[in-house]
Amino acid sequence: MNVELSQEQEAFRNTTRRFLEARVPLLVVRQLYESHDGFERSWWREAAELGWTSLFGPEVGGGGISPIPTRDAVIVAEEMGRMVAPGPFLPVSVVAAALLWEGTATQRADLLPALASGDSIASWALAEPGDVWDPASFMTRAVLDGDIMVLTGTKAYVEAATTSDHFLVTARTDDGLTQALVAANADGVTVTPGRSIDMTRRFGLVTFDGTRVPTSAVLGTVAGAGPAVERQVQLAIALQCAELVGVAQRTLEFTLEYGSSRHAFGRPIVSFQALKHRIADMTVWLEGSKAVTDALAQAIDDEDPESLHLARIAKAYVGEHCPDVVDDCVQITGGIGVTWEHDIHLYNRRATLDRALYGTPEDHKEQVITWLRG
Amino acid sequence: MVAGLSDEMTMESVEAFRTRTRAWMASALPSVEDPPLDSHALQRLLFDNRFAGIAFPREYGGAGLTLEHQKAFFDCAADLLRQVPAGYDHLVSVGMLGPTILEHGSHEAKLRFLPALLRGDDVWIQLLSEPRGGSDMAGATTRLTRDGHVYVLNGAKMWSTGAHVADYGLCLCRSDWDVPKHRGLSTVAVPLRGTPGLTIERIRAASGEAGDFCQEFFDDVVLPTENLIGEEGTGWAVAQTLLLHERNAAGSIGYGHLGPRLSGEDPTASDGLLGPSALLAALRHRRTNGAVATKLANAYIESVVGALTSARIMAGLRVGTHRGGWGSVSKLQASVAKHECIRTSLAALGAEGVIWDGADVRLDNAGTVWLGSRGGTLAGGSNEMQRNIVSERLLGLPREPSLDRDVPFNQVLRGLPAFE
Repeated sequence: MNVELSQEQEAFRNTTRRFLEARVPLLVVRQLYESHDGFERSWWREAAELGWTSLFGPEVGGGGISPIPTRDAVIVAEEMGRMVAPGPFLPVSVVAAALLWEGTATQRADLLPALASGDSIASWALAEPGDVWDPASFMTRAVLDGDIMVLTGTKAYVEAATTSDHFLVTARTDDGLTQALVAANADGVTVTPGRSIDMTRRFGLVTFDGTRVPTSAVLGTVAGAGPAVERQVQLAIALQCAELVGVAQRTLEFTLEYGSSRHAFGRPIVSFQALKHRIADMTVWLEGSKAVTDALAQAIDDEDPESLHLARIAKAYVGEHCPDVVDDCVQITGGIGVTWEHDIHLYNRRATLDRALYGTPEDHKEQVITWLRG
Repeated sequence: MVAGLSDEMTMESVEAFRTRTRAWMASALPSVEDPPLDSHALQRLLFDNRFAGIAFPREYGGAGLTLEHQKAFFDCAADLLRQVPAGYDHLVSVGMLGPTILEHGSHEAKLRFLPALLRGDDVWIQLLSEPRGGSDMAGATTRLTRDGHVYVLNGAKMWSTGAHVADYGLCLCRSDWDVPKHRGLSTVAVPLRGTPGLTIERIRAASGEAGDFCQEFFDDVVLPTENLIGEEGTGWAVAQTLLLHERNAAGSIGYGHLGPRLSGEDPTASDGLLGPSALLAALRHRRTNGAVATKLANAYIESVVGALTSARIMAGLRVGTHRGGWGSVSKLQASVAKHECIRTSLAALGAEGVIWDGADVRLDNAGTVWLGSRGGTLAGGSNEMQRNIVSERLLGLPREPSLDRDVPFNQVLRGLPAFE
């Protein structure tokens, strides 16, 4: 995505692309639609071996982690978008990053190696029912009882909820946000499976009914998790935007191929200016989407305070324009584009899902307006 | 002899050049915070120190180095915040016309024209669009006729930026009417000051202001045959070269650059009356309803993404991931965004944008700027032409069918000029 990829990044992109094309082609994505979990754990371990799950740690054998983990992670996310690939890459990456940024040595050692190997899966329990993404409105409570943290509330839209072994829970304490790591099989944790419009991405409700965890499971400080939550949201948005870029780019590619071979009035349909000019506009949007996503990824890696602002701009722009690219490609594709048989709905599904999660473009635009008002 | 440049055959490395340039700039070039020097004085200063036309051969007044050296020079200036010639006039003369003459002119033409151009003594402009239209550039109808030992030029050009203050114009004209349009064109250098038969008029814009746009009328203008740049009939190739250099300059990888204005002139040009920060002020200081606030946010987001897009494309052109017409993506994005920004200002300012105190006409209001705002989506290639370029040249989609491509030009259907 970044125009100036290093040789290592180019190689990483290539192995990622080849792996996805070989192991989860669109035919497999269609088969996974029927499956309960949307992906196979054995496949996820293979993906982990490529390094997807170790970008944010653990630090092993002197090799160290990537100095630019977000910029590496958006490469995977973009490739996943191109193939509408399965797998909990976003939630695992966010939890790993949270551990890297906020975790104690013990917390990292306990979980990062298992996430890196693909043996464990972790997800972020952030949002709450009713499309609530703003932590200020969360109802889930984290109450200290001696050296035990008691969690009560319901988290919604939790990715890979039924396959996760751990949840990173973001909850309210009286004077701020608290995050805690909770095992999925802990007492008082109930996972209710849900489906999404995506072929392979599964979500669920996770209810904490007085779930008790030791304070050693608290990530960062009690009531002090606000900045960490913001940074995690920024990372989620960067990965989501990169995925949207991949989705829109690939959709435009196969739509141009199709439109070049399909003829009407004795001409390829993409020779009509009515389509060419829209395609030119899509090219502008895609280039802008790539540029702002790169800038966000770099800002996160650099711990640039601008990243908060850039994340809102990125979601407002990419979350609007990339789904628009896919939508107009459906129009260009014509009637076959609204059939099950044609692959474009796979891409429209992923784009529409990504648009909705971690705040809609409209939500983020509202944040930009608030910021502009000063 | 200037330090670092000897007659040895080995070329100075880019790094050595960079070191030498930084040292010279620090002592010799005014900072952007100093009182601004005009482009001519700056160009002269560069020329006298062999920093003008860095990638032009020394025999034509250049420094005999490469475009990599030229880029290093611009980078140093940006880094040290030094004034360098910038802006559209510089871009056209040194960044576009200079290299075009270098590529297509005869040895004699280069000796005659280039040193004065690089010294800043002669400012060159392009004479391309005509009253009959601008997008169909190859359909030019300005007539070049050979008459014994001279050429005679008749017709009119329009939308020529800065012709009223320039010294030479490179004019695209038709020298052969019996062949298809692209093959009957020639380019000729037209002196613009005191030339018999030549009339230059500044066009009064819709705002009421006489701007930089000019119209030129050629009435039996006599030109020496040595003023032909390229061969007769190769005018289209010359024009293509011009446009290539325009794109490269826009990407800061060419002989000149549009770049951020480092010369200190007009510091508010990129974000003036109606730029994002002015819109910001409107949002903060006026009661704005939700619909206006959304428009303002869109304009603001577009301005941030637009700047990042240009930076990405420039980087891509430099490292080679982007080739060819990507400047059109930037141009299209910026033109659409700027127009939308001005439209938004009408929404944000309401009556404040169109009525002011005092009996005098004023030009610095949103309404008056709006009147000319379509200029930006037309000049330098209309949005529609940019969309053709992006879809055809970048994405390889089929070209627009044209009815005049292989027809002798004198049989091609032609409309009337917009006004006579």
